[in-house]
Amino acid sequence: MFNSELMKKLSDCFGPSGREKYIRELIIDEIKDYVDEISTDPLGNLIARKKGSGKKIMFSAHMDQIGLIVTHVDEKGFLRFTNVGGLKAKNLLGLHMVFANGLEGVICQEELKDKEKLTMGKLFLDVGVTDKEFVKQNFRVGDMCVFKSQYYETEDCVICKAADDRIGCYILIEALKNHPNTDNDVYYVFSVQEEVGCRGAKTAGYSINPDLAIAVDVTATGDTPDEIIMEVKLDGGAAIKIKDNSLIVHPEVKDMLTYLSEKNNIKYQYEILEFGGTDAGPIHLSREGVPSGVISIPTRNLHTSGEIFSKKDVEECIKLVRAAAGH
Amino acid sequence: MLKDFLFDICSSQFVSGFEHVNSHILPKYFKPYTDSFEKDKLGSYIFKASGTSETNIMLAAHIDEIGLMVTEILEGGFLSFTSVGGINPASLVAQEVTVFGKEKIFGVIGIKPPHITDAEERKKPLKLKDLYIDTGYPREDLVKMVKVGDIATIKREPLSLQGSRISAKALDDRAGVAVMLETAKELKKISHKSNVFFTATAQEETGTRGAKTSSYKINPHIGIVLEVGFGMTPDMTDLPQLGKGPIVAFGGRLNAKLTKKFVEVCKKYNYPLQYEAVPGRTGTDAEALQITREGIPCILLSIPLRYMHTSVETIDLKDVENAGKAIARFINELDNSDLEEILCF
Amino acid sequence: MFLKELTELSGVSGYEYEVRNYIKNKLKEIDCEYYIDKLGNVIAHNKGRKNKTIMVAAHMDEVGLIVRQIDSKGLIKFEAVGGIDQRVLNSKVVLVGDNKIPGVIGSKAVHLMSKEERGKSLPIDKLYIDIGTDSKEETEKLVSIGDYVSFKSDYVEFGDNMIKGKALDDRVGCSILLELLSMKLDADFYGVFTVMEEVGLRGAETAAYQLEPDLGIVLEGTVSADMPEVEDYDKTTIIGKGAALSIMDNATVYDIDVVREVAKIAEDNNIQYQYRTSGAGGNDAGAIHKTKKGAKVVSISIPCRYIHSSVSVASKNDYENVLRLTKEVILENQKGD
Repeated sequence: MFNSELMKKLSDCFGPSGREKYIRELIIDEIKDYVDEISTDPLGNLIARKKGSGKKIMFSAHMDQIGLIVTHVDEKGFLRFTNVGGLKAKNLLGLHMVFANGLEGVICQEELKDKEKLTMGKLFLDVGVTDKEFVKQNFRVGDMCVFKSQYYETEDCVICKAADDRIGCYILIEALKNHPNTDNDVYYVFSVQEEVGCRGAKTAGYSINPDLAIAVDVTATGDTPDEIIMEVKLDGGAAIKIKDNSLIVHPEVKDMLTYLSEKNNIKYQYEILEFGGTDAGPIHLSREGVPSGVISIPTRNLHTSGEIFSKKDVEECIKLVRAAAGH
Repeated sequence: MLKDFLFDICSSQFVSGFEHVNSHILPKYFKPYTDSFEKDKLGSYIFKASGTSETNIMLAAHIDEIGLMVTEILEGGFLSFTSVGGINPASLVAQEVTVFGKEKIFGVIGIKPPHITDAEERKKPLKLKDLYIDTGYPREDLVKMVKVGDIATIKREPLSLQGSRISAKALDDRAGVAVMLETAKELKKISHKSNVFFTATAQEETGTRGAKTSSYKINPHIGIVLEVGFGMTPDMTDLPQLGKGPIVAFGGRLNAKLTKKFVEVCKKYNYPLQYEAVPGRTGTDAEALQITREGIPCILLSIPLRYMHTSVETIDLKDVENAGKAIARFINELDNSDLEEILCF
Repeated sequence: MFLKELTELSGVSGYEYEVRNYIKNKLKEIDCEYYIDKLGNVIAHNKGRKNKTIMVAAHMDEVGLIVRQIDSKGLIKFEAVGGIDQRVLNSKVVLVGDNKIPGVIGSKAVHLMSKEERGKSLPIDKLYIDIGTDSKEETEKLVSIGDYVSFKSDYVEFGDNMIKGKALDDRVGCSILLELLSMKLDADFYGVFTVMEEVGLRGAETAAYQLEPDLGIVLEGTVSADMPEVEDYDKTTIIGKGAALSIMDNATVYDIDVVREVAKIAEDNNIQYQYRTSGAGGNDAGAIHKTKKGAKVVSISIPCRYIHSSVSVASKNDYENVLRLTKEVILENQKGD
């Protein structure tokens, strides 16, 4: 049964890279009764542990989402900004953005002279307030904002913002609530700053120093008319990653995930992503190296205010995470 | 013999991330000259020749090569693929490949014939997604033999050219691995005090990954990185020449005094040497070694090579022999020097 | 202020000897404990009251050039070390190698240029240094492949409290760090003079690995596009408006609570400050905050116009503000309870 209420809360929660305070608190509240230990490290990673005496396994899903950071508040009350994580100027026109304090704004464009290209520098936020003092009091350089959009569900799919990677967090939360009976020493890590370079995963990987690591993150699909060519599709099952730009998955880890899927009747597909990376990138290069893999959730329309995934795929991912935790 | 070793390993597949597949080959050659063998968690091969002192010296040459990976199995027996490591698509046209599926499958990468390609299209730069491996099987049969994620390499037999020149695929960086073997042979003849770790690192082509993990594991006092470098051709005349000796690098990634010491040793014993300046990134395992843990002082030695990252890479065997001897002598000289003095600022 | 001497020394990334030796001598003069690590970082320790491990970092290296080849006519081909826009190399005087052989990077006479050529700069691989020789042999007696080359540029004070020199990025940071160490504050911190920031934050990574700081304070010379025809919001930092606090750059998303705390310290002490408003560029904080278990970091910078050229310009006011602010931040963090 898909827990819509939890997913909506996770998607709506404010948490761009470097400002994960609220999403961290939300997740702590959800999981605190289900784990043996909870800690937060200097970068803000949330590390939850189900103790065991056996193999040390680390799962990682990132809490942060992409957003914008205010760089200037001008005399007229307009805000200038730059991107936090992967966002292109042309995808931002006309979008509604929301700040941590609940105030909102709309992205507008300056006049473009003959043949001038649209860049971040040509955009600005209009917060819809004519009182310039109010703007100065309530918006400061350094404030961040994220997409404002409505969570929406159909029979089989969900359209929402920040599926990347709140759906990964959802999966880890549901998996750890049903943590299998096992001797394994399992760490469920909700990492920070993945969107700006998988930074939280680097330090968390170093601290935990696991025997096996599995990241849980979204991946693209090849089932729409856009330019991405891939075999992965919605409803094709949990995607077992083979390779992306940050990692060539250790063949033994890939084989283990395949074996667990077949043994437990979990629907799966293989994934090769020709761009991008996940937390497994820095983790697998930690210290002497860590055999690592990724369980991916196929998602359309990544890095927009309406990312789309299949609820059935999510179920399969949860099953696979649980199987890996107990193996 | 050097040529036999190179011909053997250049015909074997070690694509980045899959270095474990032919795992019997390197131990066969390195065993006679070393005391122990282990791997790091990424798959790098570490052969240790024990000495009598506490000093640990790590030699690093990457065993992995660039390759192709199957992404889709199409009607008509065609395979779509992506690259593992950096490949110029133009160098794949009209090539034969071996696909490592359930068994080895032969394939060809071709392009549309000139009759139906207009002049405009012929001038456009090729992309990987424009190319396909043609296996000749119908799709129903092919899917039983090949899976998404399977690896393929160009099918190329190593070739002897004039004199001591050879041409093969993956001389980047099998030439470096050959230098390590030559060094191991030389060191066995002259005794050495330092412990020498001959490391065939994994996944260099995808980001010097094996160098990070193996150097963390070994934690040596110094590192000697063995690579290939760009050799002179008519369109690039201000580069080092094939046959005139290995190339030693100067730059921030490398320890200046250690490099200077190496140059002195080469001058003293008359080993031919060429030079290059590298201000920033070296594009080699030195990137990882220099900043592992508290830092590892390194030198970088490269074998001049033409046509890098194609299947017809060309080197002069004399350069490999000279490099091997020079490094063995260098290690010997370091054994009898004040290493601490050399490394201090 | 150690700035005049520091900017006139040569220390291109990977070859920081002159700067390191100068700093070593100064540290001995002020009786400050230090050691040199495996990459050449100078790690000084100011002992005092301690709540947490603080690492204050400034990089010793500057951008410059390195000799790539000597051609048959004795002209020297080179590459850039660190980020240099080729346009700043046109018609400059440089010093080559340890013996500081003077040379010029010239340009074709305008009379001989076609209309299309005028106003354009050649790419670096078409440029060369002329030391006045006519043959390869003559040049090779004085210059070798791998020799480092820096700009010849004297330290000059001008205008209304302004400074001009090469390498303000980051000799301003080194100068401030030396002044802080001379103060003998009763507050514990490591003053780290790092190597190779300009070519990939190399020194900072190994230094942070050794020190495992709780808090990293990076002192930098940073970009200021404070010039005519540039909108305020595009300037990144403004000359004379005080110490620049970073909120985000391409290597670090700064913890905004820590940044606001520093701003508050500035306000409480009447120290002028501004925010660095561009997401571009990166510095040693990028390496420090992600090493081992991670650390909190702040970057406090002096705005510099024409950075990475032989004529960078900064304001003495901003220098003073960064010095005072850093001192207060260190004291505040090591305050007794």
